[in-house]
Amino acid sequence: MAQLFTPGADALYRLALMTGVACLVGLPVLAAGIVRSNYVTGVGIAPAQPLPFSHKHHSGELGIQCRYCHTTVDREATAGIPPTHTCMTCHSQIWTGSDMLKPVRDSYAQDKPLEWVRLNKLPQYVYYNHSVHVTKGIGCSTCHGDVTSMQMTYRANAFEMQFCLDCHRAPEKYVRTPDQVWNMTWAPPADQATLGPKLVAQYHIRGGERLTECGICHR
Amino acid sequence: MSGPLIRPDATLQGIGGAVAAIPLTHPGNRRWWIAFAGAGALLGLFVLTLGYLLYAGPGIWANNNAVVWALDIASYDWWIGVASGSLLVSAILLLLGAEWRGAVNRVAETLALLATVAAGLYPIIHLGRPWFFFWNLPYPNTYNLWPQFRSPLLWDAIDIVSFLVICVSLWFIGLLPDLATLRDRAHLEAMRQLDVKAPTRKLALLRAQVYGILASGWRGSAAHWQIWVQAYRTVALLGVLLVVSVQTGASVMLAGSLMPGWHSTLLPVSFLVNAVYSGVGVTAVIVMLIRIVYGLDALVTTRHLDVLGRLLLCLGCASAYCYAAEYFDTFLNGDAEARGVLVRRMTGTHALVSWTAVLCLVLPAQILWSARIRTAPLAIAAVGLLVAVGAYADHVMVLVVTLTQDFLPSSKLPYTTDVWGIATFAGSVGLFLTLLLLFLRYLPAVSIVESRRLALTASPAAQDDARAVASRAAARPEEDPGSAPLWGVSATFASQGDLAAALQAVSGLSPDHVHLDGHGPVPMPRTLRPLGLEGRSILPYALAGALLGGIGFFVLCIYATAYDYVFLIGGRPRLSWPSFVVPSVSFAMMAGCVAIHLALLVLNRLPRLNHPAFNIPGFLRASEDRFFLSAEARSDRFDAGRIERRLAALPVEAGRPLEVRRIPR
Repeated sequence: MAQLFTPGADALYRLALMTGVACLVGLPVLAAGIVRSNYVTGVGIAPAQPLPFSHKHHSGELGIQCRYCHTTVDREATAGIPPTHTCMTCHSQIWTGSDMLKPVRDSYAQDKPLEWVRLNKLPQYVYYNHSVHVTKGIGCSTCHGDVTSMQMTYRANAFEMQFCLDCHRAPEKYVRTPDQVWNMTWAPPADQATLGPKLVAQYHIRGGERLTECGICHR
Repeated sequence: MSGPLIRPDATLQGIGGAVAAIPLTHPGNRRWWIAFAGAGALLGLFVLTLGYLLYAGPGIWANNNAVVWALDIASYDWWIGVASGSLLVSAILLLLGAEWRGAVNRVAETLALLATVAAGLYPIIHLGRPWFFFWNLPYPNTYNLWPQFRSPLLWDAIDIVSFLVICVSLWFIGLLPDLATLRDRAHLEAMRQLDVKAPTRKLALLRAQVYGILASGWRGSAAHWQIWVQAYRTVALLGVLLVVSVQTGASVMLAGSLMPGWHSTLLPVSFLVNAVYSGVGVTAVIVMLIRIVYGLDALVTTRHLDVLGRLLLCLGCASAYCYAAEYFDTFLNGDAEARGVLVRRMTGTHALVSWTAVLCLVLPAQILWSARIRTAPLAIAAVGLLVAVGAYADHVMVLVVTLTQDFLPSSKLPYTTDVWGIATFAGSVGLFLTLLLLFLRYLPAVSIVESRRLALTASPAAQDDARAVASRAAARPEEDPGSAPLWGVSATFASQGDLAAALQAVSGLSPDHVHLDGHGPVPMPRTLRPLGLEGRSILPYALAGALLGGIGFFVLCIYATAYDYVFLIGGRPRLSWPSFVVPSVSFAMMAGCVAIHLALLVLNRLPRLNHPAFNIPGFLRASEDRFFLSAEARSDRFDAGRIERRLAALPVEAGRPLEVRRIPR
C-alpha cells in the first residue's frame, strides 16, 4: 500500500505545529515588547528642535533655575514654555551674533513664537496639574529625569498609567521636602521610610486610597 | 419506543460509504450552492454591519443610556444558550452511553462549536472599541491594573474562551477517526485517479492529504482507541460542568446588578433550562434538515425523532414550570418593582415579544405528547424552530423590559429595535449557516464511528456479512521479496473477536522482540487484555490539568485582588473568594481539556503522518471493515516465521487470519 505522506512530512508537520504554538506564545510577547519599546514610547529619543537648546548647559552648568523659564510650574496646571523674550533677556547681551541663535532673534524680530517639538504628552482624557505635584513635594526629576544632564532634551519616562499609579498608590516613597523639589539628582534619603509618611501627613496628601480613585485623573 | 435505531442490514462499509459520500462526492450539489449563496449573502450583510458598527459605534443598534443591552446581548445570550444546549445534549448522551447517539452527536457538537463562534463575537463587537477587547483579560499590561475578578463580566470572558476550547476539542476528538475514514477513502480515490491518469488526480491527492493532516496520522490502533474513548468522555464531562458555569455567569451578570426583575433566585435555573431547550430545538431543526437533504433516514431513524421529541417535551414542561414559578413567586411575595416588571412584560410596549416568548416556549412542545407527532420530522423541526424563536424573544423580554424603566423616573427611556440590530443578528446567523454548510460539505455530518459501534451491537449482520464475504482460504503467509529490511508481520481479520483471539495467541511469543498492536475501525476493548494495555487511563492527566488550572486561576484571583492591589469596592470583603469560583471552574475545565489533548497526542505518539503500518497491503480498510494485527520487529531476534506459523495454526472460527503478510520497513 502506498504511503500518503513521505517520511519527511512528519518532521514538517511537527515543525508547523511547534511553530504554531511558538507563535501563539511568541506573538503576544513580541507585541508587548514593541508596545513597551522606546521606539513606541519615545523614551530617550531627542527629536530635532528649531534650535539645539541644551538643558545641560543652561540649567546644569550655568545653574539657571527651572522656574526662570517654566514660570507657572508651581502655580498652574501647565509648567509653561518660555516666550522668546525669556531667551532674549540674556541673548540680547551675549552670543548676539551666533548663527545657532538666529532662530531666536528671528522669532523676536518677527514676533513669532519658536515652535518647540513637544516631548511629554498626556492623553486628552488624563487630567494633570503641575502645581499640585510640585507644591506637594514631587520633584521635577521624578517624572522628567535629570534634565540638567541632557544635552538635547528627551523624554525620560513613558507616561503609561502604571508610571502614574506607581506613585499614586504609594506617594510616601517619592515625596520630598520642599527644598529638594528642584534637585535634579535627588535620590530617596536613607530615612525615606520614616520621613515619607511624615511628609505625606504634612502636605495633607490623602494617601493611596484617595489618589487611586479613577476620578483623580480621569475627570 | 418503537422501531430500530439502525437498519438491520447496515454494514460497517455501508455506513462509512453513506456518510463519507457526502464530503467526498457532494450529492445535492445544486441545493448546497443555493443554500451557500443565501448564507454567504447573510455573511456579507454581517461584514457590512460590522464595518458600519466600527465606523459609527454601537449606537446604530438604537441602544441608549437606559437600554444599554438590547439585541446585542439578547443575541449573545441566545447563541451561547444554543451552544450550551447542543453541547449538553451531546455530552449527556455520550456520558450515559446512549449507543444511538451517533446520528445526533456530531450535529450537536458542530452546532455547539458554531454557535459559540457566533456568540463569542457579540461581547467583542458590543464594546465601543472592539479592538481593545483584550483589556478584559488578565495579562501583563502597562496600566498596573488587574481586570475586576469579582465581576461577572470577567467571568463571562473566561467562560467564553473556555467554552470555545471545549467545543473545538469535543468536536475534533469525535471527528478524528472519521477524518481517518475520509482520508483513506480519498486516498483510494486518488490512487484510482493516478492509475487512469485522470486530469483531477493532483487535486484528489491534495484532498486526501488535507484529510490526512487533519486526521494527524490516526491508524485506528487499539491503543489509540483506548485513549480516544477516555478522552472523548472526559472532555464531555468537562463540557457539562462548564455549561453550568457559563449559564451561571450569564445569569449572575443580570442578578448582580441593581435592576428590578432580575433577582429571582430561579434565574440561573431558568437560564439553564431555556438554554438547553433552545439548544435541543436548534439541534432538532438542523438534524431534520440534514436528514431530509441527504436522505440519511437509515442512520437518523424514527426512534431518534422520538427521543428528540421526548427531550423537547420534558424541557418544555421545565420551561413552563420556570415561568409559572416566577409569576407565582413574584405576585405572591415579590416587591412592587418586580411585580411592575412582570405587568409591563405582559401589557407594556414589548408585550408582543413577551407573549411570543411564553407561548413559543410553553405551548408547541405540548403537541409532542402524541407519539404519532413525535415521529414526524416536520413536527419536530417546527417545534424546534418555535422554541428557538421563543428563547430569543425571552432574552429580549428579560433585558429590554427591565432596562427601559428602573427605579428612577429619570432613567426611563423607550426602546424600539433598529434595523441594524436585526441586520447584525441576521448576519451572525449567516456566519453560522456559512460555517455549517462548509462543515456539511467537507466533513462527515453523522458520526461514522458511533454508527458503526451501534451497527456492531444492534445488528450482528454487519459482522456476519463481513465473515461471509471474506474468504479464509488465503490464510497462508505470502512469499515476500525477502531482500527489503523487515518492519514486521501483519495479519488481517474480519472481526474484533478474531483479532483478539489472534493477539492472545501470539502475545506470549518473545515479547521483548515484538511490539504487538491491533488496528480497526471501531474501539476494540477486547484486544486490550492481550496487548497488556488494560488499566491505562487518561484521567490522571485530565485531573492534574484541571486542578492545576483551577487552583492556579483561583490563586491568581486572590493574589490580584487581595494582595497585589487591594481595591475595595461595592462593599465586597478583601477575600471575596465566592466570586472567583465561577471563572476558576471555567478555567479548570479549559486546562483539563488542554491536558487531555496533550495526553491524547503524546500517549498515542501522534501526529505521525507516515508510518510503516500504512505499508500493510489493504490497510486502508482498517478504517472501513477490517481488523489488522501488526507484530513489529523490535530487535534482530525477531522471528517472523514463528508468528506466521502460530497465526496459521489458529482454528478457523477463532482467530485464523484472512491474510498474513511480511511488511518491509
